[in-house]
Amino acid sequence: MARQVTVPSTRERASAHDADPAPAAARTPRRARSLLDGWGFLVVPLVAFLLVVFVLPLAFVLTQSFTEPEPGLQNYTDFFGSPVYLDVLANTFWIAGMVTVATVALGFPYAYLMTLAGPFWRGVLMVAVLVPFWTSLLIRTFAWVLMLSDTGVINTVLRDIGVITEPLPLLRNLTGVLIGMSQVMLPFAVLPMYATMRGVDRRLVQAAEGLGATPLQAFWRVYAPLTAPGVAAATLLVFVASLGFYVTPALLGGPGDVMIGELIAKQLSGVLRWGFASALAVALLVVTGLLLALVARFVDLRRMLGGAR
Amino acid sequence: MRHTRHVVSAAIVAAGMLGVAACGGGGGPAGAAGAKELTVVMWGGEDQKTHVRDAIEPWAKQNNVNLKQDEPSDYAKFQTQVESGKVSWDLVEVEPHFATKACKNGWAEKLDKTKIDTSLVKAELTGECAVPVLEYAFTIGYNSDVYSAENHPRTWAEFFDTQKFPGKRGFWKDATGAIFEAALIADGVAPDQLYPLDLDRAFRKLDTIKKDIVWYDSGAMQQELVSSGETPLIQAWNGRIYRAATAGRPAAQEWNQHILSYDQLVIPHGSENATTAQDWIGWYLKNPEAQAAYSNDTGYGPVSDAAMQHIKPEVATELPSSPQNAGKRSTIMNYTYWEQNYEDVTQRLEEWRAR
Amino acid sequence: MTSRRIVRGLLGVLVGLTAVYLVAPVFIVVPMSFSDSLFLKFPPTSWSTRWFESYFGDDEWIASTLASLQIGVLVTILSVVLGTLAALGMVRGNYPLRGAVAGLVLAPVLVPYVIIGLAVYAMFLQVGLTETTLGFVLVHTALAVPYVVINVSAALFSFDRRLELAAMNLGAGPVSAFLRVTLPLIAPSMLTGALFAFITSFDEVVTAVFLSGPDLTTLPAKMWSGVRVQIDPTVAAVSSMLLLVTLALFGGAGITRFVRSRSAARRNEPTTVSEAP
Repeated sequence: MARQVTVPSTRERASAHDADPAPAAARTPRRARSLLDGWGFLVVPLVAFLLVVFVLPLAFVLTQSFTEPEPGLQNYTDFFGSPVYLDVLANTFWIAGMVTVATVALGFPYAYLMTLAGPFWRGVLMVAVLVPFWTSLLIRTFAWVLMLSDTGVINTVLRDIGVITEPLPLLRNLTGVLIGMSQVMLPFAVLPMYATMRGVDRRLVQAAEGLGATPLQAFWRVYAPLTAPGVAAATLLVFVASLGFYVTPALLGGPGDVMIGELIAKQLSGVLRWGFASALAVALLVVTGLLLALVARFVDLRRMLGGAR
Repeated sequence: MRHTRHVVSAAIVAAGMLGVAACGGGGGPAGAAGAKELTVVMWGGEDQKTHVRDAIEPWAKQNNVNLKQDEPSDYAKFQTQVESGKVSWDLVEVEPHFATKACKNGWAEKLDKTKIDTSLVKAELTGECAVPVLEYAFTIGYNSDVYSAENHPRTWAEFFDTQKFPGKRGFWKDATGAIFEAALIADGVAPDQLYPLDLDRAFRKLDTIKKDIVWYDSGAMQQELVSSGETPLIQAWNGRIYRAATAGRPAAQEWNQHILSYDQLVIPHGSENATTAQDWIGWYLKNPEAQAAYSNDTGYGPVSDAAMQHIKPEVATELPSSPQNAGKRSTIMNYTYWEQNYEDVTQRLEEWRAR
Repeated sequence: MTSRRIVRGLLGVLVGLTAVYLVAPVFIVVPMSFSDSLFLKFPPTSWSTRWFESYFGDDEWIASTLASLQIGVLVTILSVVLGTLAALGMVRGNYPLRGAVAGLVLAPVLVPYVIIGLAVYAMFLQVGLTETTLGFVLVHTALAVPYVVINVSAALFSFDRRLELAAMNLGAGPVSAFLRVTLPLIAPSMLTGALFAFITSFDEVVTAVFLSGPDLTTLPAKMWSGVRVQIDPTVAAVSSMLLLVTLALFGGAGITRFVRSRSAARRNEPTTVSEAP
């Protein structure tokens, strides 16, 4: 699948944890690989499950993009022909990207501090990160509207204490969307990173410092690479989940912040152009697939997420 | 290690219990043999409960009909049910452009004229497969703290005048929200010459206030926008403003030049209880008290003139068809036009919004 | 040393602000749920518990909550089992079409739920699975399992397989080695995956609206059902209660652990390494 690109050598050298889990002595010479070995069988249940419950119904709907309302590529020509759909698709990736950067950037120190903290504070931080999970979508977005609007809580408070005279435009624009989406995505970023960080042996960092590295060097060249799988999981999760969002951006964003999910929903449930809605979904899938494939060429995803040698 | 094991075993036990319970759950109760059933679907929430209680339950009790409710109406589900032949909805409240489309495509049952006397309701609101269920109007809503009974836009032209009446404007995202009708009237088009809509002209008019427009998606958002003052002026659904006002929020509306609209009821084709549904519709049209009961509770207009006698006076001022308001009407939404053009106009609106 | 303190201090401030940001809506939602108004208002002008009474007094609200809980638990178990097995296979196994399998497993998160909802609705209508617990569990598991796979894969990748080999060298069978060495070490990620799976199912509204009906409705579907017209403030009460329950659960777990470690320390016993909550 992915071309084996050389990982920066500094990482390899500094990483005391051998990235290849199989010890040198146990690395057997490559014999003829069985096509499906013992471990490989374990994917079968899930694959079978998804084929029946997910792929089968989806195939019927997605093929409608080629058959409804008439057989042909009409839906796709409509899609490429209209400026709005391409723009919205591009915008969707852009917003998802920004949300990913924001949540991983905020989430990394958050997860790190959780590993340093004592049990009580760790518990507090954990509860805090789970709160967005437990407030349902509807009430959470409504609460943000109440907080961010020109007459909302934040602006009223800031005005009352005299920090601002004019209300800050925090709603119906990209800022509102980012604030609203990042909050709900933070748990998706923090938890995988935290889970990985827990497993990192901090004595390695101490050892590196003992050998003469500065704290920054020790962090950057020893600790960070060890957390890479968690960071990669977080990035993937948040990015991919953000692409499908549309309720939050619809309520918190302006007309320029429309995400493709909203248009798909409108075509599907409002206008009842199922063929066209399917075409939009196919477009989203194809672009996402291409994007992930592109990333896989430059970053060996197997090293990040796992894969057999 | 021990901890994990405890958690895992606890989870397994819990799952086991729930799994056993699950085998019992799901799937509806079998109705008593011979008892009639009717599944009613409307827009949901308290309004639906009120509507069913006021207008359907009395008849259901009399006629030994087992009533079920589902919510909200969903056109995609409607079409899927009909196309798959597994119809579970019997009476559905929909917008007239969908009712027309459903009738055209054979997704809705034709009205049984032997049971249903459509002369009892306004002819312009009735179709081959659909009867009107309520009337409402698109009005000029305003925040009564920012504007007042003396000072607010009284025409759509004034609504579009951001110099004289500063502030953001709220509009419904949907193309059938009378936004184009209002824009054309504001631009001077005679109300009886609105259709077919001159979209180019409407968009030019909308361009003049584009940067001040805030879009809402639901009745709830609409109420919040106008009551909070974020959009001190809003193209509103009269019932939503009425509700907000009676609950003490600073929302009010101007009836001048209001645009009348309505919802209809259809019976999905292939419904097993179609006859029962037709029976009820026939009864409903003949029972103005039932229609008025709902109007008195919600501020939505009843569909037959006979019902107006049963409306409470304080509610009458809030209805589109009351004498005070009927004269101020500019036009009725033309859903024949909308059935044909909904897709294209929606796409144009999306493109315009995104620019 | 002081630079480390400063860094730690700044980190603390940043994280503290992030925590406040995360929790901010709570300060709106909880007071709102005690408002006497028919509208979601903040700050409330008059107070009452009517929305909590409305919740407990309404069979439909209770039924939908129980349905969501039941479905959530079943989905969690099924997706953790399927997902962990798949993650093991993906990380350690050889099989054809690796890319396709990875894509398939990720796909449910990529396809807009509204498309999945419609597709599954059409299929389930034919086989009579709409408005059934089984139907919900099947769909929600498909939606939830990617989260389990991603989390468990990350853990498996970091996992040092030499530990397993060492256990086997000491006499354990491969399954035993897995259960007693590997599983406990990947448990935190499995728990994270389980949590995501539960939330995905419990909070899922789009496919739920398709599959719900008079015979079975989930909590999110019930919350959304009237939204075109008006938001029922009971929704705020529901959210407040969910928050309270979570707080109680995690708070309770935290306190138990705290008490246990304190008493163990007093008795000078080695304590178990604290696991993920």
